[in-house]
Amino acid sequence: MTEENRDPEILCELRHVDKEFDQAGGPPLRVLQGIDLAVHTNEVVALLGPSGCGKSTILRILAGLTTPTRGEVLDHGKPLDGLNPGIGFVFQSFALFPWMTVSRNVEAMLEARGLPKGEVTERAARAIQVVGLSGFEEAYPRELSGGMKQRVGMARAFSLEPEMLFMDEPFSQVDALTAESLRAEVLDVWAPKDRNPKSIVMVSHDIKEVVYMADRIVVLDAKPGRVRTIVENTLPRPRDYRSPGLLQLVDRLHDIITGMEMPDVAEAQGTDRVFEPLPHAGGGEIEGLLEYLDARGGREDVFRIAADIGREYGQIITATNAAELLGLVETPHRTVVLSSEGSRYVKASPAGRKAIFREKLLELLLFENVRLALGRAEGKRVDRDYVLELIALNLPSENFEATFETLVNWARFGDLFSYDDTNETLELSEEVLALG
Amino acid sequence: MTTRPAPVFGSASSFLFGSARKLWVDVALLSALGGVVFGLTRLAAEWTGALRPVFEIDLSPWALPYYAFLSLSRGLAAYALSLLFTLGYGYWAARDRAAEKILIPALDILQSIPVLGFMPGLVLALVATFPTSNVGLELASVIMIFTGQAWNMTFSFYHSLRSIPRDFQEVATLGRFGFWERFRWVDLPSAAIGLVWNSMMSMAGGWFFLMVSEAFVLGDRSFQLPGLGSYMSVAVARGDRPAMGAAVVAMVLMIVLLDQVLWRPVVVWAQKFRVDESGQAAEMHSWFLEVLRGSLLVAALKRRAARMALRLGRIRPERPAAPRRQRNVARMVQVASIGAMIGLLLLLGLGSVGLFRLFAKVDGASWRGIGWAAALTLGRVLLATILGTLWAVPAGLAIGLSPRLSRVLQPVVQVVASFPAPMLFPAVVAVLAAAGVGLGWGSVLLMLLGTQWYVLFNVVAGAMAIPADLREAARIYRVGTWKRFRVLYLPAVFPYLVTGWVTAAGGAWNASIVSEYVSFQGRELAADGLGARISVAASSGDFPALAASVAVMAVVVVLFNRLVWRRLHHLAEQRFSLSR
Repeated sequence: MTEENRDPEILCELRHVDKEFDQAGGPPLRVLQGIDLAVHTNEVVALLGPSGCGKSTILRILAGLTTPTRGEVLDHGKPLDGLNPGIGFVFQSFALFPWMTVSRNVEAMLEARGLPKGEVTERAARAIQVVGLSGFEEAYPRELSGGMKQRVGMARAFSLEPEMLFMDEPFSQVDALTAESLRAEVLDVWAPKDRNPKSIVMVSHDIKEVVYMADRIVVLDAKPGRVRTIVENTLPRPRDYRSPGLLQLVDRLHDIITGMEMPDVAEAQGTDRVFEPLPHAGGGEIEGLLEYLDARGGREDVFRIAADIGREYGQIITATNAAELLGLVETPHRTVVLSSEGSRYVKASPAGRKAIFREKLLELLLFENVRLALGRAEGKRVDRDYVLELIALNLPSENFEATFETLVNWARFGDLFSYDDTNETLELSEEVLALG
Repeated sequence: MTTRPAPVFGSASSFLFGSARKLWVDVALLSALGGVVFGLTRLAAEWTGALRPVFEIDLSPWALPYYAFLSLSRGLAAYALSLLFTLGYGYWAARDRAAEKILIPALDILQSIPVLGFMPGLVLALVATFPTSNVGLELASVIMIFTGQAWNMTFSFYHSLRSIPRDFQEVATLGRFGFWERFRWVDLPSAAIGLVWNSMMSMAGGWFFLMVSEAFVLGDRSFQLPGLGSYMSVAVARGDRPAMGAAVVAMVLMIVLLDQVLWRPVVVWAQKFRVDESGQAAEMHSWFLEVLRGSLLVAALKRRAARMALRLGRIRPERPAAPRRQRNVARMVQVASIGAMIGLLLLLGLGSVGLFRLFAKVDGASWRGIGWAAALTLGRVLLATILGTLWAVPAGLAIGLSPRLSRVLQPVVQVVASFPAPMLFPAVVAVLAAAGVGLGWGSVLLMLLGTQWYVLFNVVAGAMAIPADLREAARIYRVGTWKRFRVLYLPAVFPYLVTGWVTAAGGAWNASIVSEYVSFQGRELAADGLGARISVAASSGDFPALAASVAVMAVVVVLFNRLVWRRLHHLAEQRFSLSR
């Protein structure tokens, strides 16, 4: 099968890949489901998605650092055996050895491949020169800025002249201006068709960055990570951030993401209610979003909010979804609008706010169930383990510990339940007990 | 090698001055090297000489430098052994999940066995192996010192290996580092700082039992090796006060020398392995390292070494990274480690059979006696820890909160803490006897002498780590001294205090063998307790009683660690950690 379908243009490929991680004392957590992805020669592929959608895991499976639970990984049409031989890897955290100088960090990779000493020094010097770090050979990483460190990370990746360059959020810990020039430099190194790296696979949550760099944009969905859609980007290079074509594509991606992460059509409401998954945003974030909207006439574009406060769009969407779940905002298309309940909340006194939040929480099945259990329980308190089990049973595809943390956070924020971390027990808050 | 900032005036003359200084350094280094070579030949003669169980110690102060040299070489040999053991055992425990489950609890138990628990087996086996040569006895002494050094180094190395960041490991995997490359470039550098600090502590731990390790009685045979520890023992036995004083001075000089010539340079050099990039740690200096860096000889040697490495690199064959070969190697390693595991389990099995045979000879009344003795010693250990805490917490806070005090006192305290307290016991026992205090209570004071420093060190470190903004907040809101102590200082240093307690209590248990049973002016003073029982059993050659007492001590220490210290540690991490 594999041999017949072999396409020389495909460098590496995932077929129907699933990945699950074991959770201590619970069902395995599925982070990737049915991923199909091929990397062709001479292209830049970007994996775009919010944190926790498994995009770094996809990169690590392609690199051979981890193996999928199910599915096939192919390298030039053959099943991948161990590490992918033709890749360079650039890390989000740079991952430079602090005890080695810039040149030693690069040379170590070449020496480990058994290259003769002369070639090691020569190749390292060339790679360092390509990334513009000549003169810094004897510096230690701690003496360099974030951008310079990532240049060392890139020199290390380039030094082996790999067929593919893998980059895991390479510019998210680099200041914005330096990131700008690094993006252009990576594309310069990639551009000559006759030289390695032939292709680049990058992971990012920055939509503009992805549109600027990639030929194909793989949009991923979270929980479990799935390929939502693949967007072809045929804009001519070099690209201009202000060109109408680029802005249009950014706009289209915004629509795709909101259509998937903030669906307008409510899921079919049957007669039997299901437990609602809790978006992992803190109470303070939800309240902050409401205040933000209130100060801007009650409505704003979700991506504008993210750009405005300098946060990842995924986090804003999470907070928006949480507020929507509680009925405090509505989300027509990609706009966030303060609902009437939301307005009531913002105008209320601190105590009034708590009361509204509490009332909204009890409309959720999970909170209602915990409340009922507290009413029945001996000593009027329940164990963390009981609630964890309740979550694991009713929300099997959720990370139950993270969901529990969100539950405690919201319950405390609304002064509904109190949680004792030392005994790991929940009980009704004094406020609720006083109200009866 | 270092480039000093160029002076503004007279660069030509400063160049001359620089080279003259380097020459002086080299002359000093060469003569020191000559001294070491001479010493080593004497040492070799000492080791390979005919078996001489009891060396006649000369109490003249002129004999002391040679004895000190012998003890120093034993300490260093034991340290080299500890380092080898640490690298092997720690690596195995960190990389083999199955072996880890046995190796780490085993280390916990080994740590709780006092040196006299190892003594009879070691001495009998090694003297039997070398019936005519002194090597066996010397080795036994070195290994006894080793048992006071190795364990905490091994724990530190294991923890460092287990907490190497995932990114570093992935770089090593993607770069196809071989075993040796991974060890040299990733594992060892990641563990370096912890290993250096624990090496310093270990060296002090080894000196603590120097007297026991060089002069000991086993049944009807007594052994005495030439060395500083034996010198002290003989001086105490004869009540020769000037000789005791001379031995104490020699010990202090030896510790200061080691600190300046070995540990300080190593600590300064190890700064390059810092992973956290904040430059908060005060810049450390070592005059000796500066001198070494100015040496032409050392520079020439370094160049030579670099050339050698280059040549070695050239003859290394091309190594195509074949996954199949890697897997073969992995399988071989797996087979080897399973083999080693089986060997280890066999050893443990044989050991426990032997142990139970010994236990069978201990009657019920003796077991009850040992139990009561364990309770007494537990009480003393706790009392010593409490007393140490009572003075060390205020003192540690005072030192740690004042940059000036800590700068001045920190190095002094380090040297004082490295000094083996048992060498001071005769003086303290004399004072206690004059005051009419028996050894029952007196041994608490003796334990305290050895272990209070661990509490002090940790409190100092904790106080230095209190964030400035918390202290400022306390000042701005005019929190009174007592209240400040209760709401800020004590909770902030609590995690450090727990670490100090664990180390201090562990040290006190081990120290009980020398503090509950003291030789003083030809008499033996004893207070009932587990430590005294171990000492008596060892010197009278009563192996069943020795095995039973050591086993009970190990069980009590390990149980106490699990039930009390670990919980306190957990509480400290959960509630009082400033980094969470």
